[in-house]
Amino acid sequence: MASPAGCNVLALMLVCVCFCLTVAVQKKKDDILGERVQQLIEWNSKKSVIRLNGEKFRHYVREVPRNYSVIVMLTALQPQRSCSVCKQAHEEYTILANSWRYSQGFSNKLFFAMVDYDEGADVFSSLKLSTAPVFMHFPSKGKPKKADTMDIHRVGFQAEQIARWVGERTDIQIRIFRPPNYSGTLALALLFSLVGGLLYLKRNNLEFLYNRNFWGIGALAVIFAMTSGQMWNHIRGPPVMHKNPSTGQINYIHGSSQGQFVVETYIIMLLNAAIVGGFVLMSEAHALKGDPGRKRVIALIGLACVAIFFSLLLSIFRSKYHGYPYSFLIK
Amino acid sequence: MAEAGVKTEIRSAVWNPGGWKSLLSFSILFLAWLVGFSSRLFAVIRFESIIHEFDPWFNYRATHYMVNNGFYNFLNWFDDRAWYPLGRIVGGTVYPGLMVTSGSIHWILDLLNIPIHIREVCVFLAPLFSGMTALAVYFFTSEIWSAGAGLFAACFIAIVPGYISRSVAGSYDNEGIAIFALMFTYFLWIKSVKTGSLFWAICTALSYFYMVSAWGGYVFIINLIPLHVFVLLIMGRYSRRIYVAYNAFFIVGLILSMQVPFVGFNPITTSEHMASAGVFALLNAYGALKYIQSFLTKAEFKYFFIMAAVGAAGFIFVAVVGLTWAGYIHPWSGRFYSLWDTGYAKIHIPIIASVSEHQPTTWVSFFFDLHILVCAFPAGVWYCVKEVNDERVFVILYAIFASYFAGVMVRLMLTLTPIVCVLAAVAFSKTFEIYLKDDSMKANNKDSEEDELENKNDNKLYDKVGKPKKDKKEEKPKSQEAIGMNIKSIVVIALLLMLMLFAVHCTWVTSSAYSSPSIVLASYNHDGSRTILDDFREAYYWLRQNTHDKARVMSWWDYGYQIAGMGNRTTLVDNNTWNNSHIALVGKAMSSNETAAYEIMRMLDVNYVLVIFGGVIGYSGDDINKFLWMVRIAEGEHPRDIRESDYFTPQGEFRVDSAGSSTLLNCLMYKLSYYRFGELQLDFRSPPGFDRTRGVEIGNKNFELTHLEEAYTTEHWLVRIYKVKDLENRDTIIKPTIPVKRTKFRSSPSRKSAKKKQGVIKNKPKIIKGKKPTKTTSKK
Repeated sequence: MASPAGCNVLALMLVCVCFCLTVAVQKKKDDILGERVQQLIEWNSKKSVIRLNGEKFRHYVREVPRNYSVIVMLTALQPQRSCSVCKQAHEEYTILANSWRYSQGFSNKLFFAMVDYDEGADVFSSLKLSTAPVFMHFPSKGKPKKADTMDIHRVGFQAEQIARWVGERTDIQIRIFRPPNYSGTLALALLFSLVGGLLYLKRNNLEFLYNRNFWGIGALAVIFAMTSGQMWNHIRGPPVMHKNPSTGQINYIHGSSQGQFVVETYIIMLLNAAIVGGFVLMSEAHALKGDPGRKRVIALIGLACVAIFFSLLLSIFRSKYHGYPYSFLIK
Repeated sequence: MAEAGVKTEIRSAVWNPGGWKSLLSFSILFLAWLVGFSSRLFAVIRFESIIHEFDPWFNYRATHYMVNNGFYNFLNWFDDRAWYPLGRIVGGTVYPGLMVTSGSIHWILDLLNIPIHIREVCVFLAPLFSGMTALAVYFFTSEIWSAGAGLFAACFIAIVPGYISRSVAGSYDNEGIAIFALMFTYFLWIKSVKTGSLFWAICTALSYFYMVSAWGGYVFIINLIPLHVFVLLIMGRYSRRIYVAYNAFFIVGLILSMQVPFVGFNPITTSEHMASAGVFALLNAYGALKYIQSFLTKAEFKYFFIMAAVGAAGFIFVAVVGLTWAGYIHPWSGRFYSLWDTGYAKIHIPIIASVSEHQPTTWVSFFFDLHILVCAFPAGVWYCVKEVNDERVFVILYAIFASYFAGVMVRLMLTLTPIVCVLAAVAFSKTFEIYLKDDSMKANNKDSEEDELENKNDNKLYDKVGKPKKDKKEEKPKSQEAIGMNIKSIVVIALLLMLMLFAVHCTWVTSSAYSSPSIVLASYNHDGSRTILDDFREAYYWLRQNTHDKARVMSWWDYGYQIAGMGNRTTLVDNNTWNNSHIALVGKAMSSNETAAYEIMRMLDVNYVLVIFGGVIGYSGDDINKFLWMVRIAEGEHPRDIRESDYFTPQGEFRVDSAGSSTLLNCLMYKLSYYRFGELQLDFRSPPGFDRTRGVEIGNKNFELTHLEEAYTTEHWLVRIYKVKDLENRDTIIKPTIPVKRTKFRSSPSRKSAKKKQGVIKNKPKIIKGKKPTKTTSKK
């Protein structure tokens, strides 16, 4: 009779022990998790982007029991790596991380971290990365998929774009708060104060404000800038000029009518200005007093300016607009 | 030509300078009108009298509706054939000026018993108005400079490509009449500033009303005129004339502009119009101060002035901020905002960025559209600055701002063009005045003026420059003066040559670049013979004849107006891109795989899908080339389902050959474009399925469509129409599982056999027709 009872008790005890053990393991796991989250929060309160080295990366990002997502920027910020893109990316990333840290919905579900190549080269090799910067998302469950690496070639690394990508991956929407860019305002204020100061200094002699040449040149400058396509340059950001890698020949003029180089627009601006100068000279020649010979020379110079520079302009246009049939003086 | 004969007659008979002048001006303007009108007829002569492109088709349809149903019905028109299932309130969302103009021309002709179809009126409206524009520009330039410059300007605007681009015969669009309204309003404004009379100010307001009813670009007027007044105030050129002119114009113009249904309360609620209200307040405050100044001492006035200025500025600032905050004043609209912050549209509004005419302008297109004028007009600005007066301030401001806007957006070249013509005319006219004038003999002054006019006339009519001028050149060298006749004639001849080149350039550009209707394409063979590709109209006519009257056609928004106008069928999205999410839904359907797209199409009740495919003839404006925009717009609204990166190869290329991404090769747009294309071998050098537009062999060749079937493909495969199949008869599958009935059991085998039969006919493995493909696709 006793032995079955003993067996029962034994079995019960065994079950108990097992249960206790699993609870303990569970508790230990919880402890580890809690500890980690605690640690991460502590770091996060000091700096919005947590700097990790190889060991920490493995411990906090790769090891399994996690209930938080981590966005990691893998980058190379050391000056000797001469990675200028990384610096810009780092700035944008910091803006994003700050926006997250000070946002309403801040929680311990998402952390922003970074690994510098010089502090954790092994991370790069384990992830088989050869470029920087790379933005990766490590979800709380499972392994990162293909889409968990942000495609910076396509969308760029603007903070808004990263936030959008983060929103896609983690369902956490972050509104970007850019620290207001004071440099523009400052420059404007400086300019205004300079102009104001100049006006104040010259307050007894404000004649130059009534100087028509001054205003005329200002107006023409705007017009020349616009008609030579500076706005296109501003929006599209073309290269200054093109150097043919094989022959080393430098092209100043873009080959098609759809594009232009920066230098090219300056050339066009000069040509336009020269033509206008020619027109003005031609009319000034008449108004000049004195020697008729000089008048004649000036009139001819004006005409030459107009004719030669216009035909030059036309020939540049012709070289860009394929199939254009007309030319003037110069082919 | 008749003019020369008339001239000699008059020369012998009358020696009245006044009569001479007006006769010459009249005939030059008439000829400018004629030349302007005829050089816009290339498309009509080459093809036929047909409405061009996309937007004009809507305008034509609306005009047609108005002529048939009357003006009030037009204003109340709810178009249930567009934006299915939403519909569009047309009367409240169009600028009716265009329709009313052509409608009234049609009505007058009808009254005179001239039977003419409304289409002809629509086709020829823009060339007709180009002549009116020439007149308006003539008056404008005469007011700000001289009548001679006016004639120059009229001739320039008649043929300049920058304006022809929007006003060829058949391009029945708002801009065609709006440029006339714009220049006429400015002329009247200059007139009212000069005279200070209430009459001209009210005329300005009326003309402004016409402009508001015709084009959204009226915002340019309502900002430029206040700016002019403001700058005049700063320059200390305030006068009673300006006070009367602006106040009358502003109040009457404001009330009139609010009568246009589409504009409604915008003039008092949106930021675009706030500048005019602010200047109105400022002008009145300034006037009041002037009045008070007349009976205060200097010290008192100073104190009063400071108090008033601070108080007023503070009050206005608080009021504007408060109203904006409370939502009574709307911030700038996206399109308007993108003019200032040039990066705005690219980030926030892909649909604006996707339109090619919203791109910035290269110097090449400036030169292409304006040729020598773009080089000469800054000289005109220079002369205006040097000899500034009230109205020239306006011209300078106009030139600066218009060139800024034209730099930001290609389409705003249109607003720059008139002022460029005016100022280039000033530059040329000033030069010619000097170099044609015979300053030795004062008695002959009148004569030389005539010569000058004559020369202008001749060089505009570029085909008869030579004869009448030369004999005059030979007369002149007798009188040697300051610059000498030799040099003078050299200058004149050189400039005339350049102007001749300008005229030739304009004709060439008009003929080669701006005269294609774009719904009829022409290709030239090696021997110079011409083939007409009329696929668009073929397809639309097929739709009109062979589909149900209420059928819904899904296509990308570019073709919405044409389907509605020519095919008379209901569309989902069209060129009036007011509802971005609806467009995104269509984009999503186009970029999803067939099963997912089918769900969307069922949801939207689509019967037919229409795609444009250029691979057979090498037409580059087809849907595959536009496809990335569809993806982008779809991604903007549905970032979960559509990702742009999926459509690129891992190297980041967009390619349709076998190396392309599988998402692209299986999306609906790809399948509809290339369905059965793999069987087609265009010539012996290229493999079957060779896409001529992109120059590659396509990657996904032999596929079948499950939920759609090909309905019609045009002669050159340019337009392909597919019918969306009905749902398969699934009800019978599900029901038997619940009630066990014999009759129901019978039905299910019959379904199976039907399926089998289908599979056998097409010689395809049965599995494809069954559940498997749907399963695999749903997994993705």
